[in-house]
Formats: sequence, C-alpha cells, structure tokens
Amino acid sequence: MMNSATYKSISTVATFSIIAALTLITGCGGSADEEEFQPHDNSVEVEAYYQTFKRTPPDLAAALRSGEITQEELNRRMEDIPNFFQFRSLADLPNTLEWEDGLDLPEFADAEAIQGGTLYGALQDFPRTLRIIGPDANGSFRPYLLDDVALRIARRHPNVTEIGPKGHFHYPELAEKWAVDYENKTVFVKLSPDARWSDGEQVTSDDFMFMFFLFQSSYIREPWYNNWYTESYTGITRYDDLTFSISVPENKPDMNARVLSLRPLPRHFYSELGDDFVQRYQWRFQPTTGAYIINDEDIRKGTSIVLTRLENWWAQDKKFLRNRFNYGRIRLTVVRDVSKSFESFKRGDLDRSGLVNLPEYHFEKLPDSAPEIQNGYIQKATFYNDVPRPTYGLWINQSKQLLDNRDIREGIHFATNFERVIEEYFRGDYVRMNTTADGYGEFTHPGIRARSYNVDKALEFFGKAGFLDRGPDGILVNGRGQRLSFTLTTGYRNFQDMLTILKEEAANAGLEFRLEVLDSTAGWKKIQEKNHDIAFSAFNVSPEMYPRYWETYHSVNAYDEPYLADGSTPNPNRKPKTQTNNLQCIAIPELDRMIEAYRRSIDAEEMRKLAFAMEEVLYEDASFVPAFARPFYRVAYWRWMRFPKDFNVKLSRDHSEYYLGWIDPELKEATLSARRSGDTFPVTIEVYDQFRLDDSQSEKEISLVQPTP
Amino acid sequence: MSEAHSSSSFHIPRIRTIACTILAVLGVIALFTVDLRLGFGLIGLASFIALKLIPFEVNPLTARKLKRFREIKRGYYSFIILVVLSILSLFAELFVNDRALVVSYDGDWYFPTYSSVKLGSTFGLDGNLANTPVNYRQLQQHFQQQDAGNFVIMPLVPFSPNENNTFEGVLRPQPPNSETEHYLGTDSTGRDILSRLIYGFRIAVFFALAFMVMVYLIGITVGCLMGYFGGWFDLFVQRLIEIWSLVPFIYMVIIIFSVIPTNFSIPVRIFILLSIMVFFSWTGMTYYMRTATYREKARDYTAAAQVIGASAPRIIFHHILPNAVSTVVTFMPFTVAAAITAVTALDFLGFGLPPPTPSIGEILKQGTSSLEAPWIVSSAFVALVFILTLVTFIGEAVREAFDPKKFTTYK
Repeated sequence: MMNSATYKSISTVATFSIIAALTLITGCGGSADEEEFQPHDNSVEVEAYYQTFKRTPPDLAAALRSGEITQEELNRRMEDIPNFFQFRSLADLPNTLEWEDGLDLPEFADAEAIQGGTLYGALQDFPRTLRIIGPDANGSFRPYLLDDVALRIARRHPNVTEIGPKGHFHYPELAEKWAVDYENKTVFVKLSPDARWSDGEQVTSDDFMFMFFLFQSSYIREPWYNNWYTESYTGITRYDDLTFSISVPENKPDMNARVLSLRPLPRHFYSELGDDFVQRYQWRFQPTTGAYIINDEDIRKGTSIVLTRLENWWAQDKKFLRNRFNYGRIRLTVVRDVSKSFESFKRGDLDRSGLVNLPEYHFEKLPDSAPEIQNGYIQKATFYNDVPRPTYGLWINQSKQLLDNRDIREGIHFATNFERVIEEYFRGDYVRMNTTADGYGEFTHPGIRARSYNVDKALEFFGKAGFLDRGPDGILVNGRGQRLSFTLTTGYRNFQDMLTILKEEAANAGLEFRLEVLDSTAGWKKIQEKNHDIAFSAFNVSPEMYPRYWETYHSVNAYDEPYLADGSTPNPNRKPKTQTNNLQCIAIPELDRMIEAYRRSIDAEEMRKLAFAMEEVLYEDASFVPAFARPFYRVAYWRWMRFPKDFNVKLSRDHSEYYLGWIDPELKEATLSARRSGDTFPVTIEVYDQFRLDDSQSEKEISLVQPTP
Repeated sequence: MSEAHSSSSFHIPRIRTIACTILAVLGVIALFTVDLRLGFGLIGLASFIALKLIPFEVNPLTARKLKRFREIKRGYYSFIILVVLSILSLFAELFVNDRALVVSYDGDWYFPTYSSVKLGSTFGLDGNLANTPVNYRQLQQHFQQQDAGNFVIMPLVPFSPNENNTFEGVLRPQPPNSETEHYLGTDSTGRDILSRLIYGFRIAVFFALAFMVMVYLIGITVGCLMGYFGGWFDLFVQRLIEIWSLVPFIYMVIIIFSVIPTNFSIPVRIFILLSIMVFFSWTGMTYYMRTATYREKARDYTAAAQVIGASAPRIIFHHILPNAVSTVVTFMPFTVAAAITAVTALDFLGFGLPPPTPSIGEILKQGTSSLEAPWIVSSAFVALVFILTLVTFIGEAVREAFDPKKFTTYK
C-alpha cells in the first residue's frame, strides 16, 4: 500500500540499544505473564456485532462532518442501509454466476523440488511479537507469519500478469472456485472443503466474517485497518459453511483482486479477544492456513526462532501449492550486525544472503572472483523481475518560495546528476527511473524519459528565472541577491554518500543543495508536514493493477483551499495540507479532473489513457526528479540451495517470496566434504533476464499526447 | 609550595590582555560566521601573543617547572611536533586542496586558494566546461597538452576532502598510489584519505582545545567558588555535581544531538556539539579545585587580603587561583586526549560531527565495515594512535614537571 513510506534506512546504534533493552525487558518477563490473563469469551459480543453493525457510506459521513445533516438525520437514513454482515442460505445464491477456478493457468513450481532439510537464515532483530496485527506486528518478521506464507482466497498468478476480461488472473489457494459479479460489485467464493487451520479446524465462511470483525475492532489498535476494512468493503454474506460473498463499493477493473486477496482469521483462536488483545496475544502463534508453524519450544527470545513445515499440510498436493514451501525447517538466528551476518554466510552458517543486492557487496565483498565463488561453493543469481519499484526521487515542494517557479524546477532536473550516481556509485547496476508509475506493465507510460544531467540546460532554465550570476562560492544569485540554495531533506542515512555526490554535481550548475540527513521517523515527519524544500524519499508500492494518483497528486491533498471560488485560480492564501502524500503540493485543476475521472472509471482502457495523460502533465510540471530503480534482485547462496529452472516468478520481489526453492541434502553433503578436501565445482553465476524489460535508453523525443479533458 | 606568590604572577599588562581577548573573541566570531580559516588564524594569533607574554610573567617556581618540562625530551618534542602540526594545519588549504596554488594564464597570475570560485571561461575553456567551476587538475593537464606557456601549480595533495574521485570508472576504494597522488588511497566513495585525515586532524585538535578551555573555565570557576564559600553553597553544588556526573555522557550527547535540527550550518552544528559535550563534562575538574581552594583559603595571605577588604572575586581570581591552579594543569593534556577520543567515538557511532565533515572517527567507521580495503582503517588507526600518543607524552611530561617530588618516575 502507498500509505507507508519505505524507510529501510540502516538501523542506528540508538535504535539498536533501545531494541536491545526492550528485548531484554520482554525477554525477562515474557513467559510468566501468560497465566495472569482472566478467561474471556467474546462469542456474545461478536454475534451482537454481526446483528447490528452497519457501514456508514462515505458521502453520509462527509455530510455529517461538514454539518449538512444532523446526527438524527444520519440515524434515520442509516435505517435503510442493510447490515454489513448478512446471513442467507444457498437457495439465495444467484444462479447466473459464472464460476471460475483458475485451474487452467500454468503451474510455476518445479516438480523436481525435494521436501525437507533445514534452511538457516538470519534476522537483524528478534520479532517483537508473534501477532500478525497490532502494535509492532508490521515488522520484518511478518512475512514468515503472514505475507509470504498464509493463504489467500486466491492469489494473482505471478507469471501470467496480463489484464484479462475479468481483471488479473488468479490461481486458487483457499477457494475451490469463485465468481465475480461486476454489476452488483460482489465476489462470490466457495471455499475448498479440504482447507484446514494448522490446528486441524476447518476453514469456514465464519472465519472470513470474523476477519472483518477483528479488523474493524478497536481492540487491535490499528486505525489503518479499522478504516480500510470499513471503507473498502460494503458487506459480507454467508450462504453456508463454505460459501460466502463479499461486496465492494466500486466495480473497478481490479475489483476481484480486492476480495480474492483476503485472508481469513481463525475465530476459535481469537475467542479471548478483548481490551488486552495486544498483551494477551503477544507471543501466541496464530493457527495458519499456510505450511509453516512455530512451536513454543522453538522460540528462544532474543536469540532464534524456528519455523516448522506441517507434516500433512492440507494443500500440499493442490495444483499451485505443491512443490512449494519445501524446507522442512527454517531456522532464523538473530545477527544484529550486517557485516557479521555476511561473514556467517561466507562461512556457511547461513544458506543464502540478499546483501549482494547492494553493489558494494556484489562488487567488493563477494565479487565474482572471490574464492568461494570461484571454487563453486557459493553461487550467485541475478533475477530481473517486473514489479513497481519504490519511487525514489527528489520531491520538490512547490509551495516554497522560488520552487513555485517551473523554470527553477526544470533547472533542478537538469542539475541533478543521477546518471553519475548510477554509473559511478551504483556501478551501473541500477537504472534510471522515469516516472513514479514505472513497473505497472500496460499502465506505464512508454515514452516518458527522465531529463538527463546537463549543466548548460540547467543554467539556461535558472537564467530564465533570473539567476544569471555566480556568487563567490560559485552558487547562482539573482538580481535581488537571493542565492539558488535549497535544503535537501532525507530520512535515509544509507543514502547520505549518494546525496553528497548530487550536491557536488549540482554546485557545478550553480545550484546548492544543503543536505539534511535525519533519522527515518524525523525525516518522514518533516516531509509529511510539508516543511521540506526538496525531499529525497520514496513510496513503497505493491504490485497493483494500476498506479494511484489521488493520494499523491490531487489538489485536496495539497492545500486547505487550493483554488479561489472559480475553481481554477490558485488561492494566494492557501496553506499546504499536512499528513498527506502530495509531497509536491501539486494543484492543477486539469489534473484534478483527470484524477477524478480515473477514480470513477471502470474501464481499464480508459484508465490507461488517463494515466498516460496524467503522466504527461506531471512531466511538464517538473516537480519530481526520478532517481533510480533496481530492476532485479540478486541472491548469493550455497550450492546446495536449489531453485526452479526459471529461478523464480515475474512478480517475485525476492527469491523467497513464493517459496519455490529447496535444499538438496546430497549436494550439501558433497559440498561440505569437498570443502574439507579442497575439491572444487564449476563456477555458477546466473543471470535470469527473461522478464527484463526492453529499456531503450536512447533519448527519443517524446510526443506528448494532448490530454483528454 | 608554602610561599604565596599571589601578587607577582599577575602582572600581565592590561592592554595586552585586552588585545588577546579581543583577538580571540573576533576569532570565535569569525569561526562561526565568516570563515573557518580566518577564525582559526585569529585565535592562533591571540594564543601566540599570550604565549609570547608568559615568559615575562612566570614566577621562579613555574620557570623551574617549565625548565624541567623542557628537559623531558620525549614530552617536549611531542609538544613541538603537535604545535607545529596544528599551526601547519591552519594553512592546510595550501598543502591539501583541489584548488591550484598558482595559475599562470596568458600572462596573468591567479591565486585561487583563497579566492572566489572561477568558471572555466576564465581560463579559456569552452563547451560545457566554460560554465562550470574549474577543475584545476584537469586544467593542469589541459595546459600541458596545449603547451602554450600556461601552467598550473597544484598543492602537494591535489584533492579536497569532500570530492569523490572515481577509480576504474566507479566510486570505490582505491589503494594508496603515488602516481594518482592518493598517497593513502581513497575511502569507499572515492574521497582522498590523506586529505580527510589532515582536515579531520585540524578540526579534532581545535575542537579538543576549545573543549578543554571551556571545561576548565567552568570547572575552575565553580570549584573555586565551592571551596571559597563553603557551607550550604558547597553542599548544594556537591550534590548537583554528584547527580550531574552520573548522567552517562555519551548517551546524553547522542540523544540531545540527534534532536538538534540538521539544517543549521555545519560550523554551528559543530559548536552545538561542543557545547553539549562541555555541558556534560565540566564537573570533572571541580573537586580538585574545591580542595585546593579550601587549602589556600586557610592560609594567611588570604586572611590578609580579606582584612584589607579585597572583594571575594578578587581574592578568588587574583590570590587563590594562581596558587591552586597548578594541580589542574597536569590534567590538561589528558582532557585533550579524552576530547579527541570522545569526538572520534561519536563520529564512529554516527552521532558526531555532521557529514560530510572530515573526521578520523568517520574514516574508522568506514574502514571497519570495508575490511577488504585495509588502507582505510589502517590510515585512520595509525593517525589516531599517533595523535593520542603525542598528547599522552606531553601529558606525562607535564605531570612529571609539575610534580613536587622531583625524582618520582611514573609508569
């Protein structure tokens, strides 16, 4: 989701020490407090909620907030609105539904995979909780509990990524079949009768109803979930134990994905849900529909944690789930220091390392010429995937003085040398990003290319804005004596050296960047308060069908009152709106209209045209300098780790996301004995570029399509 | 030290005192507002004048101590080396810089070291280079190729501490190489290590000196007041100091410095760091001064001064202080060493001097995370050990020289 910025900056010592202290504290008092909780049963509360909860439509809620209607009026109107939770029988099921099961799609796992073995991995931090929801749950350990492991109703096929007549293609996980009713904005689901929780209970429609109860409840202390699961779904209807339907407010082309990507929650496990949820469930492992469980005796707080493969996992012979989740055990040890974990990997204590994604590790610390690679013990693979990338770049705040001048903004584009950064700092490993919507396949504008570094052009544009002379320090000044100097704020300490290069290069074009490197929280806060001049930041983007524009570019997210009464003249007294993602403070009436049309549209083709037109407006506006993207991921692994012939799937974001790899015990034995005796194997350094996009770097003149009003 | 030499040791003529103070204040102002170089220069001048004055004023006891210090060769030579290095570092721009010392172009002479930025067009460069600030190393090659009588003289180390130099087309550590004039190699983003060490040395040494001066100023004053007034004031300040000195110094610096907005200019941030460090370390000297003052206060000359009607500040600063101060002098070099260590440690942890300020701690940090480029960590390590050894030698010598028992040896 785009609501969270990617703040994966290098953990600082301060956070380390705090974390260490916290781990100590929790480690000391953790086990004893479980008995302190009073027994609690929430079944009455849940049933009552099912009988009464109604979703307030957003327009009514807005009308109440603005004072158009009173609370009484709202209550009266709410009487006509049906309950969110509906109970019907199979006879009520529409018989015109076109059921689909996705079984004609190709399988992507490798039939040669071997089950068993132990995968040794490292965690930088011990998980702060085993909950999948609530405070601290959204950490780096959650993928092992939820994201990569727990099953959805159905999942987008990671290799067949086109847009079909009914949206993206999905393969079944928990579902036996499903049907999308675009007219009624509803998706019907029939669960597989085999689907089981890891404690043996059957997965039923009730678990989906309960999922809504839990995510809407205030017990979990997650306002974002509360909001999303109330706003984005209009209701759930139970037909029988295995059949239900879920409705959504809009029939957008990716409507199916919004429902099919849902995961159930085991109602029987959360029967003690109450005010003390956060503490009570802190270290309880929730039964999963996936293949891996965590046994209590395998949790060594602060030290290590082990995931164990279920012996008779219910889905192990299902078409798209077989030959996956092959490791018998996954043993994760806490190694706080990054370079230490890399040394452990090189010793063979860890099976694989993703640190080679960083050019420094790939080229310096474990180069292709390293002895471990040359004697064949460690192999390297580079896999080109095709997913939206984090949107790294300079976000220029137009509400600031001087930066409201388009010429200055365009000059900044030409004065920012990301080419040098990519070539010399990232060693040509990364590519230039062109728009914030790169990686959306058909929704990515094919023609727009980022402006390249060019001192003459930069000086020309700065000159147009009145900055003609250089001061004694080489920075341009205008007639009023203002220096062409802006603060460049970032929350990424790990990119500090990179920004120093940008600063030096910009000085050549008479532009000064004053670097402000903050810690991640402070940096993000400053940017969200719109106090930045220019920010180097990024949004993390998940592989959705189409990019979002409203959050980042609509004027309602830029200013309190963007325009005067005529609806297009900029309001001279407007104030930037804080806590929104419109980091550039963009307010263009024409763009607003296109964004609104885009949000209303239910036709993928129309949306695509609008997206292209909007990208062109944004290119002209020149307030985002695209930085770089890593179009691949890389992994170094000991030769006993095996992967499918194509290595991985197109939509994978790292090698483990789809659990396609396995461990070959014979190879492990052979490698270890070879290492003792000094024998070697052939060098294996693979590049899988079957999904690599044809990136013609040639500077073709882009022909701007006239935006459709 | 039974005799009181209160009157004879404080005969520095007012005018010179005032001149030194004005110069030093101007220097501090220049340091943080106008120019680092000018500031250091003025402060250096002030200290030079002050130093020059001291021999005229020393009392026989002090003169004997200084003589003994000079006799301890190891410490004395360390002192000379450190002073020479520090003074040279004030003019580091002349030895280590990416700007040329002298450019001769078409009969005109240019001295770009301290002048404003020149564009390529000044020296007849065309194309892209005409509008960008001159790269003097390239200009030097350009003139050599042209062979038209123009020339550029570069400093010994022709790199600034902040510029990124590529090695084999990318920014990566380059091993020491006298041909490319990276005598100690480059760090992980291609910055010249020797250049960073020299500028880092300059900042560390003057930072430590400023730290020492401020800590002693506060520590001595508070200690004297405690000892002189005694009573409830002494009790109260003692408790305060006990609490204050229990606050973990490094953590406090980290916590406070991390909430200071980073958009202040770099000199201002360095000054803030200095103030925070002083704020949490002034307590160390107070107890020594308190005891010494208690001792001196009981002597007859103090009573005599009181009887004459001298004010408390006069008695403290003119009569007691000169007699009590010798105990703390011996701590000074060790305070400097501690300050250098502290600022290096903070830089190592990433909470010290703001980037991209060159510093030894920052090079050490880079070095330990890229051990495949051993010249980074070894340069920084050797430099740090060298500086700290010098300071420690000086400290040992001072302690020995000021020791009342002349023939004691320290191990």
